Amino acid sequence: MGKVIVVTSGKGGVGKTTTTANIGTALAMMGKKVVMVDTDIGLRNLDVVLGLENRIVYDIVDAVQGNCRLKQALIKDKRLENMFLLPAAQTKDKTAVTSDQMIELCDKLKDEFDYVIIDCPAGIEHGFKNAIAGAEEAIVVTTPEVSAVRDADRIIGLLEAAEIRSPKLLINRIRVNMVKAGDMMSVEDILDILAVDLLGIVPDDDAIVVSTNRGEPTVLDSNSRPGEAYRNIARRICGETVPLMSLEEKKGFFGKIKSLFSGD
Amino acid sequence: MTEQWPVKLSDKPTLLVQRSLRSGQNVNFDGNVVVLGDVNPGAEIIASGHVLVMGALRGMVHAGATGEDTATVTALTLSPTQLRIASHITRPPDGSGNEGHKPPETARIRENAVIIEPYQPQR
Repeated sequence: MGKVIVVTSGKGGVGKTTTTANIGTALAMMGKKVVMVDTDIGLRNLDVVLGLENRIVYDIVDAVQGNCRLKQALIKDKRLENMFLLPAAQTKDKTAVTSDQMIELCDKLKDEFDYVIIDCPAGIEHGFKNAIAGAEEAIVVTTPEVSAVRDADRIIGLLEAAEIRSPKLLINRIRVNMVKAGDMMSVEDILDILAVDLLGIVPDDDAIVVSTNRGEPTVLDSNSRPGEAYRNIARRICGETVPLMSLEEKKGFFGKIKSLFSGD
Repeated sequence: MTEQWPVKLSDKPTLLVQRSLRSGQNVNFDGNVVVLGDVNPGAEIIASGHVLVMGALRGMVHAGATGEDTATVTALTLSPTQLRIASHITRPPDGSGNEGHKPPETARIRENAVIIEPYQPQR
């Protein structure tokens, strides 16, 4: 029996889809059988971020409406054989799926997979309600911006009302230098308002833009710092205790020599 | 003609909210409201009586909402988005951000203006 985890945020553009793709891929790299479900019907993205858009034949709407068998709609990843995607429909809208159908879908998927990761659309309307309908756990993604934190707070309230207890927080796109200068909310500031468990922090990195555009999740790159952060998060999801990674910029060769002499 | 004797605010019923209020959540009560938790930005409390927040008050609060200008608002950390008492509407001055740790404070109407003072226990 697998776990159904919804990745949500309220606000758009904070990195739900990137987070889904990377956590899903990282879990699959650990040998888990993973399916990612894109519930952003009409604005599908997860297939692009995973580089699987040209393999879509059937989608989630076909699967829940019985136009195809569920197995037919699942797209096997091109890199990892224990990772699958259930893509959203692009030509329909959010009302094409009901909450009851989502619950049924999640029940079927969790019999087959270790982890069912649901990519939630932005907003708090029908699409959000569908996405959380079948979920048992939630990851709330936020960035160190007042507006994103405000929306995360709203979402946590709605998740609690939907009896998804103790959602976990993922703080995305943190920039250490700005936090140090007092120009960006720190992890502590955010936790002070949201008062939920922290699942992990992901540093802001140009590599994410590149990997997202290429359709190669950054966790596949062993040198990537956000990739490392996402791999750590996946291990935490599996129950391991992994300390938060240090957010200090990695020092280059000369930086290391310099710090040898300055002693820091 | 019988004149209605004014009811003391503290004689009104009191609602105890045993959790934090997050953005989008609201409490609307004819009486006093006590929150054991924080009131986050985007949350709302509307009470006809006093409001007491045993935590950080960062949202919107309206005490004495049916016109009682003896109503007060007290919080361990009083930094509301907007604070209303009876028909008075106030907000923190522009540019006042995080002032760090503050002592508990009370807001009340005095001489037709909302004033904020350190919380003083009644003796």
